[in-house]
Amino acid sequence: MIPVAVLTGFLGSGKTTLLNRLLKSSQFARTAVIINEFGDVGLDHELVETSEESLVTLQTGCLCCAVRGDLERTLEDLLRRRDACTVTRFERVLIETSGLADPAPILHALVGDAGLGNRLALAGVVTVVDAVNGLATLERQSEAVKQVAVADRLVMTKTDLLGSTANELIARLAAINPSARLLTASFGEVDAGRLFDMGLEASRILRDATAWLGFDEHSSHGRGADRHHHDSEISTFAIVAQEPIRAVTLTLLLEVLAEHCGGDLLRMKGIVNVAECPERPAVIHGVQHLFHPPAWLPAWPSPDRRSRLVFIVRGIPQAWIEALLEALETEVSEVTRSISSCRG
Amino acid sequence: MSTGVPNHICRLLAECLKAWRVSGEVAYEPDGTLLLTVGCKRLSIACAAPDMPFRWMVHEDGRSRGATSVPGLLRAVRATVDPGHRPARLRIAPFPLGSP
Repeated sequence: MIPVAVLTGFLGSGKTTLLNRLLKSSQFARTAVIINEFGDVGLDHELVETSEESLVTLQTGCLCCAVRGDLERTLEDLLRRRDACTVTRFERVLIETSGLADPAPILHALVGDAGLGNRLALAGVVTVVDAVNGLATLERQSEAVKQVAVADRLVMTKTDLLGSTANELIARLAAINPSARLLTASFGEVDAGRLFDMGLEASRILRDATAWLGFDEHSSHGRGADRHHHDSEISTFAIVAQEPIRAVTLTLLLEVLAEHCGGDLLRMKGIVNVAECPERPAVIHGVQHLFHPPAWLPAWPSPDRRSRLVFIVRGIPQAWIEALLEALETEVSEVTRSISSCRG
Repeated sequence: MSTGVPNHICRLLAECLKAWRVSGEVAYEPDGTLLLTVGCKRLSIACAAPDMPFRWMVHEDGRSRGATSVPGLLRAVRATVDPGHRPARLRIAPFPLGSP
Protein backbone atom coordinates (compact mmCIF):
# COMPACT_ATOMS: atom_id res chain seq x y z
CA MET A 1 0.00 0.00 0.00
CA ILE A 2 1.22 3.49 -0.82
CA PRO A 3 0.32 5.94 1.96
CA VAL A 4 -1.49 9.11 0.98
CA ALA A 5 -1.33 12.04 3.38
CA VAL A 6 -3.44 15.16 3.09
CA LEU A 7 -1.82 18.48 3.95
CA THR A 8 -4.36 21.18 4.59
CA GLY A 9 -4.65 24.52 6.35
CA PHE A 10 -6.22 27.87 5.71
CA LEU A 11 -4.89 30.42 3.22
CA GLY A 12 -1.49 31.74 4.27
CA SER A 13 -1.05 29.27 7.10
CA GLY A 14 2.32 28.05 5.79
CA LYS A 15 1.45 24.80 4.01
CA THR A 16 3.80 25.38 1.09
CA THR A 17 6.70 26.39 3.34
CA LEU A 18 6.18 23.24 5.37
CA LEU A 19 5.89 21.14 2.22
CA ASN A 20 9.17 22.53 0.89
CA ARG A 21 10.96 21.69 4.11
CA LEU A 22 9.56 18.19 4.13
CA LEU A 23 10.57 17.53 0.54
CA LYS A 24 14.14 18.45 1.38
CA SER A 25 14.34 15.79 4.06
CA SER A 26 15.66 12.40 3.03
CA GLN A 27 12.53 10.69 4.39
CA PHE A 28 10.49 12.41 1.69
CA ALA A 29 12.82 11.87 -1.22
CA ARG A 30 10.34 9.57 -2.93
CA THR A 31 7.17 11.57 -2.58
CA ALA A 32 4.66 12.41 -5.30
CA VAL A 33 3.04 15.75 -4.62
CA ILE A 34 -0.38 16.86 -5.77
CA ILE A 35 -1.08 20.53 -5.31
CA ASN A 36 -4.55 21.97 -5.63
CA GLU A 37 -4.65 25.66 -6.41
CA PHE A 38 -7.69 27.84 -6.42
CA GLY A 39 -7.84 30.46 -9.14
CA ASP A 40 -6.76 30.80 -12.74
CA VAL A 41 -3.12 31.47 -12.05
CA GLY A 42 -1.56 28.96 -9.73
CA LEU A 43 1.58 29.96 -7.91
CA ASP A 44 2.10 27.38 -5.22
CA HIS A 45 3.52 24.79 -7.59
CA GLU A 46 6.19 27.29 -8.66
CA LEU A 47 7.24 27.51 -5.05
CA VAL A 48 7.54 23.80 -4.43
CA GLU A 49 10.93 22.34 -5.04
CA THR A 50 10.55 18.77 -6.17
CA SER A 51 11.09 16.78 -9.32
CA GLU A 52 8.86 18.01 -12.16
CA GLU A 53 7.45 14.64 -13.09
CA SER A 54 6.13 13.77 -9.67
CA LEU A 55 4.47 17.12 -9.07
CA VAL A 56 0.92 17.48 -10.31
CA THR A 57 -1.12 20.65 -10.14
CA LEU A 58 -4.89 20.61 -10.13
CA GLN A 59 -6.25 23.96 -11.20
CA THR A 60 -9.85 23.21 -11.91
CA GLY A 61 -11.08 24.87 -8.76
CA CYS A 62 -11.18 23.92 -5.18
CA LEU A 63 -10.24 20.28 -4.73
CA CYS A 64 -13.17 19.53 -2.48
CA CYS A 65 -15.60 20.63 -5.20
CA ALA A 66 -14.03 18.78 -8.13
CA VAL A 67 -12.66 15.96 -6.07
CA ARG A 68 -14.41 12.90 -7.48
CA GLY A 69 -13.23 13.49 -10.99
CA ASP A 70 -9.92 15.25 -10.87
CA LEU A 71 -8.29 13.80 -7.80
CA GLU A 72 -9.13 10.23 -8.70
CA ARG A 73 -8.00 10.65 -12.29
CA THR A 74 -4.78 12.27 -11.10
CA LEU A 75 -4.02 9.48 -8.68
CA GLU A 76 -4.77 6.83 -11.28
CA ASP A 77 -2.50 8.59 -13.74
CA LEU A 78 0.30 8.83 -11.18
CA LEU A 79 0.04 5.11 -10.44
CA ARG A 80 0.09 4.28 -14.15
CA ARG A 81 3.18 6.39 -14.67
CA ARG A 82 4.82 4.82 -11.64
CA ASP A 83 4.13 1.34 -13.05
CA ALA A 84 5.54 2.39 -16.42
CA CYS A 85 8.62 3.83 -14.69
CA THR A 86 8.04 7.24 -16.27
CA VAL A 87 8.09 8.89 -12.86
CA THR A 88 10.24 8.29 -9.82
CA ARG A 89 9.08 5.18 -8.02
CA PHE A 90 7.43 7.21 -5.28
CA GLU A 91 6.73 5.64 -1.93
CA ARG A 92 4.14 8.09 -0.69
CA VAL A 93 1.74 10.70 -2.01
CA LEU A 94 1.20 14.05 -0.40
CA ILE A 95 -1.84 16.10 -1.38
CA GLU A 96 -1.73 19.79 -0.56
CA THR A 97 -5.25 21.16 -0.63
CA SER A 98 -6.21 24.71 -1.41
CA GLY A 99 -6.58 26.89 1.66
CA LEU A 100 -10.31 27.07 1.13
CA ALA A 101 -10.87 23.33 0.84
CA ASP A 102 -13.26 21.38 2.97
CA PRO A 103 -11.15 18.27 3.62
CA ALA A 104 -14.03 15.87 4.26
CA PRO A 105 -14.95 15.21 0.59
CA ILE A 106 -11.27 14.70 -0.19
CA LEU A 107 -11.01 12.03 2.50
CA HIS A 108 -14.25 10.57 1.21
CA ALA A 109 -12.74 10.22 -2.26
CA LEU A 110 -9.54 8.67 -0.93
CA VAL A 111 -11.37 6.11 1.16
CA GLY A 112 -13.94 5.23 -1.43
CA ASP A 113 -12.57 4.80 -4.89
CA ALA A 114 -12.62 1.18 -5.95
CA GLY A 115 -9.78 1.44 -8.42
CA LEU A 116 -7.41 3.09 -5.97
CA GLY A 117 -8.30 1.35 -2.76
CA ASN A 118 -6.12 -1.68 -3.31
CA ARG A 119 -3.00 0.39 -3.90
CA LEU A 120 -3.40 3.57 -1.89
CA ALA A 121 -4.21 3.95 1.79
CA LEU A 122 -5.15 7.12 3.57
CA ALA A 123 -2.31 7.81 5.98
CA GLY A 124 -3.96 10.74 7.68
CA VAL A 125 -4.51 14.46 7.68
CA VAL A 126 -2.00 17.15 8.67
CA THR A 127 -3.49 20.59 9.24
CA VAL A 128 -1.30 23.68 9.39
CA VAL A 129 -2.42 26.52 11.65
CA ASP A 130 -0.89 29.98 11.65
CA ALA A 131 -0.02 30.95 15.24
CA VAL A 132 -0.41 34.66 14.48
CA ASN A 133 -3.74 34.69 12.63
CA GLY A 134 -5.06 31.25 13.50
CA LEU A 135 -7.42 32.33 16.24
CA ALA A 136 -9.06 35.01 14.13
CA THR A 137 -9.28 32.65 11.16
CA LEU A 138 -11.03 30.03 13.27
CA GLU A 139 -13.52 32.69 14.37
CA ARG A 140 -14.40 33.69 10.83
CA GLN A 141 -13.92 30.69 8.56
CA SER A 142 -15.91 27.51 8.95
CA GLU A 143 -13.59 25.70 6.51
CA ALA A 144 -10.68 26.37 8.88
CA VAL A 145 -12.61 24.80 11.75
CA LYS A 146 -13.32 21.70 9.66
CA GLN A 147 -9.68 21.47 8.63
CA VAL A 148 -8.70 21.39 12.30
CA ALA A 149 -11.53 19.06 13.26
CA VAL A 150 -10.54 16.22 10.91
CA ALA A 151 -6.78 16.45 11.51
CA ASP A 152 -4.63 13.65 12.86
CA ARG A 153 -1.75 16.09 13.34
CA LEU A 154 -1.88 19.84 13.85
CA VAL A 155 1.19 21.89 12.99
CA MET A 156 1.37 25.38 14.43
CA THR A 157 3.50 27.64 12.23
CA LYS A 158 4.94 31.17 12.59
CA THR A 159 5.39 30.80 16.33
CA ASP A 160 8.65 32.71 15.85
CA LEU A 161 6.59 35.75 14.83
CA LEU A 162 4.47 35.62 17.91
CA GLY A 163 5.38 38.02 20.69
CA SER A 164 3.65 36.00 23.34
CA THR A 165 2.70 32.38 23.83
CA ALA A 166 -0.12 30.86 21.83
CA ASN A 167 -2.02 29.53 24.82
CA GLU A 168 -5.39 30.77 23.65
CA LEU A 169 -4.94 29.23 20.21
CA ILE A 170 -3.68 25.97 21.71
CA ALA A 171 -6.74 25.80 23.94
CA ARG A 172 -9.00 26.49 20.99
CA LEU A 173 -7.38 23.77 18.90
CA ALA A 174 -7.72 21.31 21.78
CA ALA A 175 -11.38 22.25 22.09
CA ILE A 176 -12.07 21.58 18.41
CA ASN A 177 -9.98 18.45 18.10
CA PRO A 178 -8.62 16.96 21.32
CA SER A 179 -7.44 13.81 19.58
CA ALA A 180 -4.93 15.39 17.19
CA ARG A 181 -1.30 15.66 18.22
CA LEU A 182 -0.07 19.26 18.17
CA LEU A 183 3.39 19.98 16.76
CA THR A 184 5.17 23.29 16.34
CA ALA A 185 7.10 24.30 13.24
CA SER A 186 9.65 27.05 13.34
CA PHE A 187 10.47 28.43 9.88
CA GLY A 188 8.80 25.35 8.42
CA GLU A 189 11.01 22.97 10.38
CA VAL A 190 9.17 20.12 12.01
CA ASP A 191 10.03 16.57 12.94
CA ALA A 192 8.86 14.73 9.81
CA GLY A 193 8.93 11.41 11.62
CA ARG A 194 6.38 12.60 14.17
CA LEU A 195 4.31 14.27 11.50
CA PHE A 196 3.54 11.20 9.45
CA ASP A 197 3.48 8.38 11.99
CA MET A 198 -0.29 8.38 12.01
CA GLY A 199 -1.26 5.73 9.47
CA LEU A 200 -4.41 3.70 9.67
CA GLU A 201 -2.54 0.43 9.29
CA ALA A 202 -3.80 -2.21 11.67
CA SER A 203 -0.29 -2.86 12.99
CA ARG A 204 0.01 0.75 14.04
CA ILE A 205 -3.43 0.74 15.64
CA LEU A 206 -2.53 -2.41 17.53
CA ARG A 207 0.66 -0.82 18.84
CA ASP A 208 -1.08 2.26 20.08
CA ALA A 209 -4.85 2.07 19.90
CA THR A 210 -5.34 4.85 22.39
CA ALA A 211 -3.27 7.27 20.37
CA TRP A 212 -5.03 6.28 17.16
CA LEU A 213 -8.42 6.90 18.70
CA GLY A 214 -7.25 10.00 20.54
CA PHE A 215 -9.01 8.51 23.52
CA ASP A 216 -7.91 9.18 27.07
CA GLU A 217 -8.59 5.98 28.97
CA HIS A 218 -8.12 7.63 32.34
CA SER A 219 -11.15 9.83 31.86
CA SER A 220 -13.56 7.11 30.77
CA HIS A 221 -16.33 5.87 33.01
CA GLY A 222 -18.66 3.68 31.04
CA ARG A 223 -20.68 4.69 28.06
CA GLY A 224 -21.14 8.37 27.85
CA ALA A 225 -19.42 11.68 27.66
CA ASP A 226 -15.74 11.17 27.94
CA ARG A 227 -15.00 14.37 26.16
CA HIS A 228 -17.35 16.75 24.57
CA HIS A 229 -16.05 19.93 23.08
CA HIS A 230 -17.94 22.41 21.03
CA ASP A 231 -16.65 24.92 18.59
CA SER A 232 -19.31 26.51 16.48
CA GLU A 233 -21.25 23.43 15.48
CA ILE A 234 -18.34 21.01 15.27
CA SER A 235 -17.78 18.72 18.20
CA THR A 236 -15.71 15.69 19.06
CA PHE A 237 -16.83 13.08 21.54
CA ALA A 238 -16.33 9.47 22.46
CA ILE A 239 -18.95 6.88 23.22
CA VAL A 240 -17.87 3.88 25.27
CA ALA A 241 -19.93 0.71 25.40
CA GLN A 242 -19.24 -1.62 28.31
CA GLU A 243 -20.97 -4.61 26.73
CA PRO A 244 -20.06 -6.20 23.40
CA ILE A 245 -22.07 -4.90 20.45
CA ARG A 246 -23.78 -7.36 18.14
CA ALA A 247 -22.57 -7.24 14.53
CA VAL A 248 -26.03 -6.44 13.23
CA THR A 249 -26.40 -3.59 15.74
CA LEU A 250 -23.15 -2.11 14.49
CA THR A 251 -24.30 -2.39 10.87
CA LEU A 252 -27.64 -0.76 11.67
CA LEU A 253 -25.90 2.01 13.60
CA LEU A 254 -23.68 2.83 10.63
CA GLU A 255 -26.66 2.72 8.27
CA VAL A 256 -28.70 5.13 10.38
CA LEU A 257 -25.73 7.47 10.86
CA ALA A 258 -25.13 7.53 7.11
CA GLU A 259 -28.79 8.04 6.30
CA HIS A 260 -29.47 10.81 8.78
CA CYS A 261 -26.10 12.55 9.18
CA GLY A 262 -24.60 12.46 5.68
CA GLY A 263 -21.96 15.16 5.43
CA ASP A 264 -22.33 16.16 9.08
CA LEU A 265 -20.49 13.03 10.14
CA LEU A 266 -17.04 14.39 9.39
CA ARG A 267 -15.15 11.40 10.69
CA MET A 268 -15.75 8.40 12.89
CA LYS A 269 -13.27 5.87 14.14
CA GLY A 270 -13.53 3.15 16.67
CA ILE A 271 -12.42 -0.11 18.20
CA VAL A 272 -15.40 -2.39 18.70
CA ASN A 273 -15.94 -5.50 20.77
CA VAL A 274 -18.24 -7.41 18.43
CA ALA A 275 -20.31 -9.93 20.39
CA GLU A 276 -19.86 -12.67 17.80
CA CYS A 277 -16.07 -12.35 17.86
CA PRO A 278 -15.03 -11.07 21.28
CA GLU A 279 -11.41 -12.24 21.06
CA ARG A 280 -10.53 -9.91 18.19
CA PRO A 281 -11.45 -6.23 18.11
CA ALA A 282 -12.88 -4.73 14.95
CA VAL A 283 -11.48 -1.40 13.83
CA ILE A 284 -13.88 0.88 12.01
CA HIS A 285 -13.20 4.12 10.22
CA GLY A 286 -15.51 6.26 8.16
CA VAL A 287 -15.80 9.65 6.53
CA GLN A 288 -19.30 11.05 5.99
CA HIS A 289 -21.39 8.11 4.78
CA LEU A 290 -18.47 6.05 3.50
CA PHE A 291 -16.85 3.42 5.70
CA HIS A 292 -14.01 0.97 5.35
CA PRO A 293 -15.05 -2.63 5.96
CA PRO A 294 -14.08 -3.41 9.55
CA ALA A 295 -10.48 -4.54 9.96
CA TRP A 296 -9.97 -7.26 12.53
CA LEU A 297 -6.97 -6.87 14.78
CA PRO A 298 -5.28 -10.16 15.75
CA ALA A 299 -5.74 -9.38 19.47
CA TRP A 300 -6.85 -6.69 21.90
CA PRO A 301 -4.14 -4.08 22.32
CA SER A 302 -4.80 -3.79 26.08
CA PRO A 303 -6.90 -5.48 28.78
CA ASP A 304 -9.60 -2.89 28.12
CA ARG A 305 -12.18 -4.64 25.94
CA ARG A 306 -14.82 -1.95 25.88
CA SER A 307 -15.97 -0.63 22.52
CA ARG A 308 -14.80 2.92 21.96
CA LEU A 309 -16.27 5.06 19.20
CA VAL A 310 -14.89 8.52 18.49
CA PHE A 311 -17.03 10.97 16.51
CA ILE A 312 -16.14 14.25 14.84
CA VAL A 313 -19.45 15.76 13.82
CA ARG A 314 -21.19 18.96 12.89
CA GLY A 315 -24.36 19.68 14.83
CA ILE A 316 -25.10 16.08 15.81
CA PRO A 317 -25.79 15.65 19.52
CA GLN A 318 -23.94 12.93 21.37
CA ALA A 319 -27.16 12.10 23.23
CA TRP A 320 -28.83 11.20 19.93
CA ILE A 321 -26.14 8.65 19.02
CA GLU A 322 -26.28 7.18 22.53
CA ALA A 323 -30.07 6.91 22.39
CA LEU A 324 -29.83 5.38 18.93
CA LEU A 325 -27.30 2.76 20.01
CA GLU A 326 -29.46 1.84 23.00
CA ALA A 327 -32.61 1.54 20.88
CA LEU A 328 -30.86 -0.60 18.26
CA GLU A 329 -29.27 -2.87 20.86
CA THR A 330 -32.62 -3.33 22.58
CA GLU A 331 -34.43 -4.11 19.34
CA VAL A 332 -31.80 -6.56 18.10
CA SER A 333 -31.82 -8.26 21.47
CA GLU A 334 -35.63 -8.58 21.45
CA VAL A 335 -35.71 -9.93 17.90
CA THR A 336 -32.93 -12.42 18.71
CA ARG A 337 -34.84 -13.63 21.79
CA SER A 338 -38.03 -13.88 19.79
CA ILE A 339 -36.36 -15.98 17.09
CA SER A 340 -34.76 -18.21 19.73
CA SER A 341 -38.07 -18.82 21.46
CA CYS A 342 -39.76 -19.67 18.13
CA ARG A 343 -37.01 -22.21 17.39
CA GLY A 344 -37.02 -23.54 20.94
CA MET B 1 -53.57 -5.42 21.03
CA SER B 2 -50.37 -3.41 21.24
CA THR B 3 -48.32 -2.48 24.30
CA GLY B 4 -47.02 0.97 25.22
CA VAL B 5 -44.05 2.38 23.36
CA PRO B 6 -40.93 1.90 25.52
CA ASN B 7 -39.17 4.84 27.11
CA HIS B 8 -36.01 4.46 25.09
CA ILE B 9 -37.95 5.05 21.87
CA CYS B 10 -39.51 8.20 23.35
CA ARG B 11 -36.00 9.40 24.32
CA LEU B 12 -34.65 8.54 20.89
CA LEU B 13 -37.38 10.43 19.05
CA ALA B 14 -36.91 13.49 21.26
CA GLU B 15 -33.17 13.41 20.48
CA CYS B 16 -33.95 12.90 16.79
CA LEU B 17 -35.81 16.19 16.65
CA LYS B 18 -32.74 17.96 18.06
CA ALA B 19 -30.37 16.17 15.70
CA TRP B 20 -32.57 16.98 12.71
CA ARG B 21 -33.00 20.59 13.87
CA VAL B 22 -36.75 20.24 13.85
CA SER B 23 -38.80 22.11 16.45
CA GLY B 24 -41.34 19.86 18.06
CA GLU B 25 -42.10 17.66 21.00
CA VAL B 26 -42.75 14.07 21.91
CA ALA B 27 -45.18 13.06 24.65
CA TYR B 28 -46.98 9.95 25.87
CA GLU B 29 -50.71 9.58 25.36
CA PRO B 30 -52.77 7.86 28.07
CA ASP B 31 -52.88 4.63 26.03
CA GLY B 32 -49.07 4.39 25.90
CA THR B 33 -48.69 5.59 22.31
CA LEU B 34 -46.39 8.49 21.53
CA LEU B 35 -47.62 11.74 20.06
CA LEU B 36 -45.02 13.63 18.09
CA THR B 37 -46.01 17.20 17.28
CA VAL B 38 -44.12 19.31 14.76
CA GLY B 39 -45.89 22.51 13.77
CA CYS B 40 -49.32 21.49 12.59
CA LYS B 41 -48.26 17.89 11.98
CA ARG B 42 -49.21 15.27 14.55
CA LEU B 43 -47.85 11.76 14.35
CA SER B 44 -48.98 8.95 16.56
CA ILE B 45 -46.45 6.16 17.12
CA ALA B 46 -47.44 2.80 18.54
CA CYS B 47 -46.03 -0.68 18.90
CA ALA B 48 -47.49 -2.91 16.19
CA ALA B 49 -49.85 -5.64 17.24
CA PRO B 50 -48.19 -9.07 17.52
CA ASP B 51 -50.07 -10.39 14.48
CA MET B 52 -48.71 -7.61 12.26
CA PRO B 53 -45.53 -8.05 10.21
CA PHE B 54 -44.16 -4.81 11.70
CA ARG B 55 -42.70 -3.66 14.99
CA TRP B 56 -43.94 -0.06 14.88
CA MET B 57 -46.91 1.79 13.44
CA VAL B 58 -46.91 5.46 12.48
CA HIS B 59 -50.32 7.13 12.12
CA GLU B 60 -50.86 10.53 10.57
CA ASP B 61 -54.06 12.09 9.24
CA GLY B 62 -55.89 8.80 9.19
CA ARG B 63 -53.10 7.04 7.30
CA SER B 64 -50.97 4.30 8.84
CA ARG B 65 -47.50 3.10 7.93
CA GLY B 66 -45.73 0.11 9.37
CA ALA B 67 -42.02 -0.02 10.18
CA THR B 68 -40.13 -3.25 10.70
CA SER B 69 -37.30 -1.77 12.76
CA VAL B 70 -35.99 1.32 14.53
CA PRO B 71 -34.20 2.50 11.36
CA GLY B 72 -37.49 2.10 9.47
CA LEU B 73 -39.36 4.01 12.16
CA LEU B 74 -36.89 6.89 12.01
CA ARG B 75 -37.10 6.94 8.21
CA ALA B 76 -40.90 7.15 8.32
CA VAL B 77 -40.90 9.87 10.98
CA ARG B 78 -38.27 11.99 9.29
CA ALA B 79 -39.97 11.78 5.90
CA THR B 80 -42.98 13.42 7.52
CA VAL B 81 -41.42 15.99 9.83
CA ASP B 82 -38.42 16.92 7.67
CA PRO B 83 -39.53 16.42 4.04
CA GLY B 84 -36.55 18.38 2.67
CA HIS B 85 -34.07 15.83 3.99
CA ARG B 86 -32.26 13.82 1.32
CA PRO B 87 -31.01 10.63 2.95
CA ALA B 88 -27.55 9.33 2.13
CA ARG B 89 -26.88 5.62 1.80
CA LEU B 90 -24.15 3.85 3.67
CA ARG B 91 -21.32 3.00 1.31
CA ILE B 92 -18.66 0.50 2.19
CA ALA B 93 -15.27 1.08 0.63
CA PRO B 94 -14.04 -1.85 -1.47
CA PHE B 95 -10.97 -2.41 0.69
CA PRO B 96 -10.34 -2.51 4.44
CA LEU B 97 -7.85 -0.38 6.31
CA GLY B 98 -4.22 -1.17 5.49
CA SER B 99 -3.19 -4.74 6.24
CA PRO B 100 -1.29 -5.50 9.41
